[in-house]
Amino acid sequence: MTDSKYFTTTKKGEIFELKAELNSDKKEKKKEAVKKVIASMTVGKDVSALFPDVVNCMQTDNLELKKLVYLYLMNYAKSQPDMAIMAVNTFVKDCEDPNPLIRALAVRTMGCIRVDKITEYLCEPLRKCLKDEDPYVRKTAAVCVAKLHDINAQLVEDQGFLDTLKDLISDSNPMVVANAVAALSEIAESHPSSNLLDLNPQSINKLLTALNECTEWGQIFILDCLANYTPKDDREAQSICERVTPRLSHANSAVVLSAVKVLMKFMEMLSKDLDYYGTLLKKLAPPLVTLLSAEPELQYVALRNINLIVQKRPEVLKHEMKVFFVKYNDPIYVKLEKLDIMIRLASQANIAQVLAELKEYATEVDVDFVRKAVRAIGRCAIKVEQSAERCVSTLLDLIQTKVNYVVQEAIVVIKDIFRKYPNKYESVIATLCENLDSLDEPEARAAMIWIVGEYAERIDNADELLESFLEGFHDESTQVQLQLLTAIVKLFLKKPTETQELVQQVLSLATQDSDNPDLRDRGYIYWRLLSTDPVAAKEVVLAEKPLISEETDLIEPTLLDELICYIGTLASVYHKPPSAFVEGGRGVVHKSLPPRTASSESTESPETAPAGAPPGEQLDAVPTQGDLLGDLLNLDLGPPVSGPPLAASAVQMGAVDLLGGGLDSLIGAPSFVAPPAAAVPANLGAPMGSGLSDLFDLTSGVGTLSGSYVAPKAVWLPAMKAKGLEISGTFTRQAGTISMDLQLTNKALQVMTDFAIQFNRNSFGLAPAAPLQVHAPLSPTQTVEISLPLSTAGSVMKTEPLNSLQVAVKNNIDVFYFSTLYPLHILFVEDGKMDRQMFLATWKDIPNENEAQFQIRDCPLNAEAVSSRLQSSNIFTVARRNVEGQDMLYQSLKLTNGIWVLAELRIQPGNPSFTVRRPLPPKAPGPLPSCPHACPGWGRPWWGGVGWGIHPGVKKHQDSDLRKLQLSPIKCLR
Amino acid sequence: MISQFFILSSKGDPLIYKDFRGDSGGRDVAELFYRKLTGLPGDESPVVMHHDDRHFIHIRHSGLYLVATTSENISPFSLLELLSRLATLLGDYCGSLGEATISRNVALVYELLDEVLDYGYVQTTSTEVLRNFIQTEAVVSKPFSLFDLSSVGLFGAETQQSKVAPSSAASRPVLSSRSDQSQKNEVFLDVVERLSVLIASNGSLLKVDVQGEIRLKSFLPSGSEMRIGLTEEFCVGKSELRGYGPGIRVDEVSFHSSVYLDEFESHRILRLQPPQGELTVMRYQLSDDLPSPLPFRLFPSVQWDRGSGSPVVTLMKMGCGFPGTDCSLLPCSQALNVRLHLPLPRGVVSLSQELSSPEQKAELGEGALRWDLPRVQGGSQLSGLFQMDVPGLPGPPGQGPSASAPLGLGPASLSFELPRHTCSGLQVRFLRLAFRPCGNANPHKWVRHLSHSDAYVIRI
Repeated sequence: MTDSKYFTTTKKGEIFELKAELNSDKKEKKKEAVKKVIASMTVGKDVSALFPDVVNCMQTDNLELKKLVYLYLMNYAKSQPDMAIMAVNTFVKDCEDPNPLIRALAVRTMGCIRVDKITEYLCEPLRKCLKDEDPYVRKTAAVCVAKLHDINAQLVEDQGFLDTLKDLISDSNPMVVANAVAALSEIAESHPSSNLLDLNPQSINKLLTALNECTEWGQIFILDCLANYTPKDDREAQSICERVTPRLSHANSAVVLSAVKVLMKFMEMLSKDLDYYGTLLKKLAPPLVTLLSAEPELQYVALRNINLIVQKRPEVLKHEMKVFFVKYNDPIYVKLEKLDIMIRLASQANIAQVLAELKEYATEVDVDFVRKAVRAIGRCAIKVEQSAERCVSTLLDLIQTKVNYVVQEAIVVIKDIFRKYPNKYESVIATLCENLDSLDEPEARAAMIWIVGEYAERIDNADELLESFLEGFHDESTQVQLQLLTAIVKLFLKKPTETQELVQQVLSLATQDSDNPDLRDRGYIYWRLLSTDPVAAKEVVLAEKPLISEETDLIEPTLLDELICYIGTLASVYHKPPSAFVEGGRGVVHKSLPPRTASSESTESPETAPAGAPPGEQLDAVPTQGDLLGDLLNLDLGPPVSGPPLAASAVQMGAVDLLGGGLDSLIGAPSFVAPPAAAVPANLGAPMGSGLSDLFDLTSGVGTLSGSYVAPKAVWLPAMKAKGLEISGTFTRQAGTISMDLQLTNKALQVMTDFAIQFNRNSFGLAPAAPLQVHAPLSPTQTVEISLPLSTAGSVMKTEPLNSLQVAVKNNIDVFYFSTLYPLHILFVEDGKMDRQMFLATWKDIPNENEAQFQIRDCPLNAEAVSSRLQSSNIFTVARRNVEGQDMLYQSLKLTNGIWVLAELRIQPGNPSFTVRRPLPPKAPGPLPSCPHACPGWGRPWWGGVGWGIHPGVKKHQDSDLRKLQLSPIKCLR
Repeated sequence: MISQFFILSSKGDPLIYKDFRGDSGGRDVAELFYRKLTGLPGDESPVVMHHDDRHFIHIRHSGLYLVATTSENISPFSLLELLSRLATLLGDYCGSLGEATISRNVALVYELLDEVLDYGYVQTTSTEVLRNFIQTEAVVSKPFSLFDLSSVGLFGAETQQSKVAPSSAASRPVLSSRSDQSQKNEVFLDVVERLSVLIASNGSLLKVDVQGEIRLKSFLPSGSEMRIGLTEEFCVGKSELRGYGPGIRVDEVSFHSSVYLDEFESHRILRLQPPQGELTVMRYQLSDDLPSPLPFRLFPSVQWDRGSGSPVVTLMKMGCGFPGTDCSLLPCSQALNVRLHLPLPRGVVSLSQELSSPEQKAELGEGALRWDLPRVQGGSQLSGLFQMDVPGLPGPPGQGPSASAPLGLGPASLSFELPRHTCSGLQVRFLRLAFRPCGNANPHKWVRHLSHSDAYVIRI
C-alpha cells in the first residue's frame, strides 16, 4: 500500500469519506486517513473542513499519529483560530506527558501556531519546559521563546522568559546552549537596547567551551555570535583566535566560513609584527582552497567570499594562484569569478603563468568568458607594469585572430593601456587601424576613435579615418559621437591646416543637428574655445591627462571593511551591505572592524583606519540612520531603531545613548553630553545616579569664568597603547572659545619631541585652531599641560555617535590614534537666547513627532537656580511662567552650526516630584506618551556641566519620594 | 534562519512545502522561484537569487529542486550544506531520492523536516540522533530482494555508469526501524577518485589533481565495528615515504569523525564504528605528483591551410597509460565510456573520419566533435583522423599550411571511467567486520574501486 493513491483527484465525496475514516475506531485506519489529509494539504487542496475531525484524533498515545495531527494543526490553525482553541487542552496536557518526545512536540507545535489566543495558554507549559530535565525538551523550548517573541514580544518580556533564556547559555547540554544563543541573537536584533547577549569575557569563555562540544549547526550559531564580540585588547583577541582556529578544518563549509569571519575580524586587532599573525595567515589559506573542490554552488559562494578576503588581505592566498585556474567544465558564473580573483592576485612573480592562462581562455568558445579574459589581460598590463609589454603583444596576437568580438574587446583594453602608459606602445596603432572596419560595438568604436584622436600627430591618415566615421554620425551612439567630436577637435589642434573643414563639419553636426544636450553643449564649448582663444583651447583639450589607477573596480574600503564583518553571509555573495537587501532594516546593524589596538603602521591615516577608539568605546554596531542633515531636518525623535548589545561599561552606555537615536538624544536632553569624565566617574564624587547633587552642589562650577562646566580630565590615550605617551584631557568653553585642555605625560624612558595633532572630520567641524605646541622636549615622567584652541571651521562629516572625535597625535616615536566624546555644551553659543515671539511661533511649528521628553530626578533646586545654572552653560531661559504652582521654564540654546534646540522645563517648587505635561496640544494634558522604554544611556548622563540623572522612561508619577525634574518636549529646528 | 523549504519536481510542481516562520507569502513562493530560475540570464549565478526581500538558495539533486528561502542575512554555506544533507537524509530514509519516492512518503518527509529544522534553525542532521525521533515508516515501491543484486551500481559516484544502471541494492531505505534484520547485513565500500588534468598544447603537464574519497554505505546495525585496511605503502605529506617500492602518497587526508586512527600509523588500518547509512570515511587530495602515468595521453596534430576550399585536418592519437595487463593487485583493466569532446570552429559543415576500430563513433553536435569509445583496453593505442570543412574560416596567419590550431578548435576534453583502478594507487586491502549477526549468514561486503574524470583537458 502506498501513499501515491492519496494524490488521486478529488471526487465529490472525498471529504466525507475522509471524515468517516477519521472518525473510525481503528487506529491504523485513522492514521492512514490523516496521512491522506496531509498529502492533499501538500498539493494545495483545501482540507480545512476536516479540522474538528482531525483534532479529535489528537488524543492518542500513538506518537506517529500525534505527530501527523500536529502537522495538520500547524498548517490550518491560523485560518481557524476558534477551532484551534479546541486543541489547547490537549497541548497543555501533552506538555506534561511523561514522554519527553511528546512534551517537546507539544511545545514546538504550540509555538508554531501563530494564534494570539493560544499564546496565553503557552506561557505556563513553556516555563516548565524551559526547566525540563530532558535536554531535548529544553532545547525545543529555547527556540519556542524566539517563536513566542515574534508573535508577542511584550508577553515574553513580562513573563521573564528572556532571563530564563539567558540562564540556558550556561546549560550543561551544548545543544541547548546553541539554541539559546540562536534565539537570543534573534531577539536581540529586533530589540536593540535590551542588552540581551551580554558578551563579556566570562560568557565568551562559556561559548568557546560549548563550541567544542555541540553539533556543527550549533557551532555556526556560536561562531556568528562570537563575531559580534569585540575583545578588549589584542591578547584577548589572540586567545579567542587560538580557540577558534581548529574549526577551520571542519567538514562543514558553513562552520569553516564562520570561523574565517571571526578570524578575519579579530586579526584586525593583532599587530602585524606578531609571529602569531603570520601563523594565522598561513592557516587561513588551506580551508579556503579546499572549498574550491566542492560542488559548483558552494564554489561560487566561496569565490565571492575569497574575492573579499583577497582584497582585504591579498597575502592570504598569494601563493595559491593555481587553484583559481578555470576548469573547462566550471559553470560560467564560477569561471568569471575565478578570473576576477586571478587578476587580483596577479603580481610580478606569477604574471607569466597568469598571462599564459588568460591567453588560453581567450581562445575558448564561450563569448562572455572570452571577452572577460581579454579584458583581464588588459587589467594585468595596468596592474603589473613589468608585464605590460608582454600583455600588449598577447593582445596583438589575439587581434590577429580576427575574431570580431576578441578584436573589439582587445581594442577597448588597449585604450586603457594607453591611458596608463602614454606614448609607449604606439607601434601597435597601425595594427589597430587595420581592424577599423570590423568594429561594430559602440564601446570599441569609441575606444578606437579616442586612440586616433590622442595620437593624431603620429597617424598620417588620421583625418581620413575620422572622416570615415563622420559619415554616419547620426547613427552612432552618444558615446561614439562624443568621442568623435573630441577626437576631431584634438586632431584640429594638432594639424590645424588640413582639418579645418572637418572640424567645422563636426561642430555643426554636434550643435545644430543633434538633440542630445551633452553633445550639443560639448560642441558649443569647443566651438567657443576654438574661436576665442585657440591657445587656451590647446591647453584645455590637449592637457596632460592623469594616469588611470592601477586597481580598477576595487570595493570601496569602508564598504569592504563592513563586508568583511559579513563573511559567510548573503551580504558577502551580493557584495552589498545587508541594509541594502534585508527587509525593513530589521536587525540591520552596521558593523565595522575593530581597530588595531597597537597600531604600528604609521602610514595609516585616521581616515583609512578607524583606529584609535579604545575597544571599550568601540561601537561595533550602530543603528541605521540617515545622514546628519537628514537627521537634523527631520529631527527623528522616535525611539532608537536598533542598537548594539551593550557592554556594561559606563562609557559604552554614554556613547550608545548618542547613537541610539541620532539626534533625538541630542535634543532629548541633558543626557546627550557623554563626557570624557565618564571614564572616571569616581572623580565626580557622588554617584552618578544621584546626579542632582553633582549638578547643583558643584556650586563653584569648577572655577571657570563663564561658568560653563568643565569635566575633570579623563585619560584618553593610556600610556600602554601609545608607547609611553599618556594623554588625558577635557573640553572647555570660555568666553566663546572652545578649547581642548590636554595633559601629556611621558611614561616612556625616552624623550618625546615633535608633537603634532590632527582631528578626523566630525559632526560639528571641530578642528585645531592652532598647531599643538609643546615647547620643550618632554623628558621621561614629565607632564605638560596644553590648552589647544579649537575652531568649528573644519570639514563636517556625521560621526557615530554624533559627538565623537577621532584624534591623531604624532610624536617622534609614532602616530597614535584615539577617539573621545566631546560634551555638546561646548558647542552652545553665547547668543543662544531666542526672541520670545519667535520662540512661541517656532514652538508651535514643531511637529509632535519631533518631541522627546525626559525626567530628571533628585533635583533640589528651584526654578531660579536652575535657570541661572543653565545660563552659565549657554542655555537660556526665554520665558518663565507659573502654572498651578509649577514653574515652567522655556529654554533655548543654539549650536555652533546654527541649530536651535528648544525645551520646556517643568519644576514643582517645594515638591520634589515634578510632573511632565506636554504643552502641545494646549488643551487637557493627556497621559504622558511613554518614553522609548529602553534607552541605554539615560541612566548616566550629565548636562551643561552637571550630572543630571535622567530617568529612562517616565514610569509612575506617583512615586513621590523621588524628586523629579522633568524636561518636556524639547524641540529643535534649523 | 530559514523561512521556507520546499521541494519541486523538475517541472516545477511542488512536492513538499514547509513554512517555518509564518511570515511569508504562501505557496506562490515556490512558483515564483521556478519562474525566476527558468528566466535567469545565462551568465548570472543561479546559486543565490532574490526577489524583493526573499532570497532563494537551491540545489538540484536527482532531478528535484531542494529550495530554502530566507529573508535575513544568513550564511549561504549553511543553507547549501543543509540542503545537500537533507538530500542525503531523504535518500537514506526513503530509499532513493526522486519524485515518486518523495510523494509516496510525504508524511515521513514532513516529520524529518520538523526534527531537522525548528523555526528555521537547524537542529541536527545526524541520522543517529534522528533515529530516536522518527516514527513514520518509509514506503518502498517494491520489496527488496537479494536476487536483484546483478546490477549493483555505484551509489557514490555520479558517473554515467551509475546513471545507466541504477542499482536497487543501494537504493532502499537504510533506516527503517522495524523491518527485519536479515536482509540488512550488507556493506558497500567504494574508493572513488576524480581526476583533473590540464595538458598544455606542447604536451607538458600543467596541472594534475586527484580528489579521492572512500565512501561507505552500511546496512549493518549502527555502531558495529569494522576495520578497513589500506595499502601499506600509503603515506601522507611530501616528506614521509615508507617501504621500498614507490610510495602511494597523498597530500592531505581527512577522516570522518567515527574513524579511530590508532592502527593507522602502524598498519594503515582504519577502525570505525559507522552509523547506518552513507558516509565518507576518508577524503584525500593529491596534486601535481602522480605516481602512475596518466591514464590517457592525447597527441593531437592539426593541419589547415589558407583558402576556403581546404579542410581542417585533425589527427588524434590516444595512448592509454593505464596498465593493460596485471601489474598490481588489480586485474587487467579497461576504460569505459570514454568520450572525447572537441569544440570546433564556428560554421563547421561536414566531417569525415577514419577511426581505428569499428565500435567507436564520432559525430558532430552543438559546435563540437564527439568521439565515443565505449571500451578502451589498457595499454592500447588508438587514433582518429577527422577532416572538417569550415567555410569562411580565415586562413592561418602567415603563408602556407599551419600546424597551430585555428580559433575555436579545442581544447579537447576527455571523460572516462576506470573501474578497478585508482590513479593514486590507493587500494583497500581488506574490509573486516567485527559484527556477527545472530544466526544469519555472514554480511555481504562489496568493495569497489573507480577513477573517473572530472576535468581532463588537453589544449591543442
